[in-house]
Amino acid sequence: MVRKDLSITFMGVKFPNPFCLSSSPVGNCYEMCAKAYDSGWGGVVFKTIGPKHYFIDEVSPRFDALTKENEPFVGFKNMEQIAEHPLEENLADLRKLKKNYPNKVLIASIMGSNEEDWETLARLVTEAGADMIELNFSCPQMTSHAMGSDVGSNPELCYKYCQAVRRGTHLPFMAKMTPNITDMCDPAIASIRGGANGISAINTIKSIINVDLDKKIGLPIVDGKSSISGYSGKAVKPVALRFIQQMRTREELKDVELSGIGGIETWEDAAEFILLGCKNLQVTTGIMQYGYRIVEDMCNGLEHYMEEQGVDHLEDLVGLANKNIIPAEELDRDYIVYPEIDNDKCVGCGRCVISCFDGAHQAMEWHEENRRPTCNHDKCVGCLLCGLVCPVGAIKPGERVLKPGRKAKNLKKMVLQTTMEKL
Amino acid sequence: MLKKYQQEHEARYTPRLVMEEASRCLLCLDAPCSSSCPAGTDPAKFIRSVRFKNVKGAAETVRINNLLGAICARVCPTERYCQAGCSRSGIDKPIEIGRIQRYITDFEADLDMDILEAKEGNGKKVAVIGSGPAGLTAAGELALLGYEVTIYEKEAKAGGYLRYGIPEYRLPNEVVDKEIERIVKLGVDIVLNTKVGEDVTLEELKKEYAAVVLAVGYSKGKMLPMFEGNRKVVLAVDFLKKVKDRKGNVKVPNNVLVIGGGDVAMDVVTTLKMLGAEQVTDVVYETFAEFKASKKELEGAQKEGVSIIDGYVPVSTARGGIVKFKHRYINSELKIKADLIVLAVGQVADLEKLPVELEKGEVKASGNHMGANVFFAGDIGHGEKTVVYGVKLGKEVAKAVDAYLGGK
Repeated sequence: MVRKDLSITFMGVKFPNPFCLSSSPVGNCYEMCAKAYDSGWGGVVFKTIGPKHYFIDEVSPRFDALTKENEPFVGFKNMEQIAEHPLEENLADLRKLKKNYPNKVLIASIMGSNEEDWETLARLVTEAGADMIELNFSCPQMTSHAMGSDVGSNPELCYKYCQAVRRGTHLPFMAKMTPNITDMCDPAIASIRGGANGISAINTIKSIINVDLDKKIGLPIVDGKSSISGYSGKAVKPVALRFIQQMRTREELKDVELSGIGGIETWEDAAEFILLGCKNLQVTTGIMQYGYRIVEDMCNGLEHYMEEQGVDHLEDLVGLANKNIIPAEELDRDYIVYPEIDNDKCVGCGRCVISCFDGAHQAMEWHEENRRPTCNHDKCVGCLLCGLVCPVGAIKPGERVLKPGRKAKNLKKMVLQTTMEKL
Repeated sequence: MLKKYQQEHEARYTPRLVMEEASRCLLCLDAPCSSSCPAGTDPAKFIRSVRFKNVKGAAETVRINNLLGAICARVCPTERYCQAGCSRSGIDKPIEIGRIQRYITDFEADLDMDILEAKEGNGKKVAVIGSGPAGLTAAGELALLGYEVTIYEKEAKAGGYLRYGIPEYRLPNEVVDKEIERIVKLGVDIVLNTKVGEDVTLEELKKEYAAVVLAVGYSKGKMLPMFEGNRKVVLAVDFLKKVKDRKGNVKVPNNVLVIGGGDVAMDVVTTLKMLGAEQVTDVVYETFAEFKASKKELEGAQKEGVSIIDGYVPVSTARGGIVKFKHRYINSELKIKADLIVLAVGQVADLEKLPVELEKGEVKASGNHMGANVFFAGDIGHGEKTVVYGVKLGKEVAKAVDAYLGGK
């Protein structure tokens, strides 16, 4: 049995493992959070608590899913706003959670509409026993424009509200960023200047996920209409990783602690966020589809990964990949990798030939007599689209050659991709 | 043809295919698969681990719950257990749980994963008689708890019916070796070529060991009176043992009659075909509606071209390998002449030298405690006579012995 210590300290608080519920429908009340703790989650970000004067009134239905072929849930659309329970009830839940789960981490997410709100909410959740606070600057489906992602895309407001929160609490707090912005670093820097101890990213992406073709209305349909609202799930992981990387490599933010959010379902997803610099991880969509139980394989899989990597502290993996993402202009453009076709694995479907002709450089040639492809190196540019579309993993990166006229180098010493197969 | 016998007939999943199959799983709420595995292997959990890219974790789940996980993956009649209540059947067909488990345990073997760790020794000694599924499981579970376990096995190699009964194409002995190796690694000592009741008495073991577990199994084939002394007749277990022992290097005549319709009979007819018998006729007591063999094994036999005749009972024999049958429900008679007749009509325990009383093939005591410091498990225990049931009873008897000896 693999046994590794997954504990990690984030913003000064020790988590039994880095996995947390993110502020969302999955952490809406005491019973849900208690079950999540019991299932193995290291922490909970309780669903965002708003000011007393802000009335939450939700639509029905409020979710939709993007599908692709046999995948029922590539991406997910959510129109729900922040916690709909009364403020007092939420605070009572926080108190009860802290009392019954003293060794788990309790994070209160808050959202105000002015400085006074922010300061008051920060004070109230601190008094209720939260270990840290997350400022929700990023919900894209609020019915008030003084709240949510309109705040997160405005660095001045981020700064001001962080200062207000600092006045209301001594606890560490992080600001949750919206991806609906060109450069996330600006509001992140402003938040840190305002007193935030860390940044969490990303919240959901503004989206229209599907349109009903008969009714000509976006989904979900609410009395004949729909709205733009947040998109999440596996499909947003690449967007989240990009923002994480950009913050980690920005001088003003390089030492700021990050909580990664966006499409985490497996330990592999989690490890990617960790390698790109996150010390903490948050999940919602995976839980909405499969339940809290997914944390079991996240924890166990991550322990096995630590074992394989020979590390005893999760901390040792944080940020190891940041240095390997560099500007496009700095990449080595001197060589080509040709595809290597394994004829024993090939089943003769010809998909590589179709994709190479229609989407690449017409290098993959088809032999009717034996229904097998070969690669014409005169035409091949080494893009390896063929390897990505192959349904049996029969095409992998093979022979490497220098482009004509490039300075010779030891091709064998270079670190190369070894497979194109996606499982 | 010989190769066919020697090679595992079911292809192993590729990583892609196992993910495809695991993705068919609905990850349902109450997981009927997990509640209906006698051994408690917990398919719902290991399939979910595969689905979420944690095959190593899946291997841990299988191995911790079932010391014979790689064997069960291959031989378990899953249609009767885990797959019977599969929610996916509401859409099309159950998840191929055995094949997923096989992928996982092959992965475990390929990576040489060492999952099990025995507790520190408690100094107490337990003897287990028999090294079939129940004996191996009981021994392994007790070793995990810290007991010093010795298995007594009458044959030259351990494994019981796993080694000497189930054909190579379904369960290669290499797999059996590997599973036994894991159990030996936990500290279990196996004494071979030693028959309790002859080479050593039960009384001696009772004195030497704090507890004794009888897990002797049904190792003897049943004979029907009308075939007594018939030189054309062999018993299924003896035939299968000879073939497996010689890795399939056995000559078989062209025209063979097999009597019986359980999984053992299916193993015999399929093996005969693989070894080159041209005409294999299987006459079965049950009609197809009452058939005992698992669907998979029946399909395997049919695919090999075995003639299966259902609903007939043998009534008399004549010289030269002639057997006459009568249909059980309709007015019909059948006469078959064969060069070899294999009887696959059930097995019994070989207990002649042991002071144990059986009733309908099972020990007369309730539970698994025979009295004094003697316990029992496996075929002579209460329940179904399958490998997975052996594992179940082996786990249970280990718990009972542990409780009896103070649980420390």
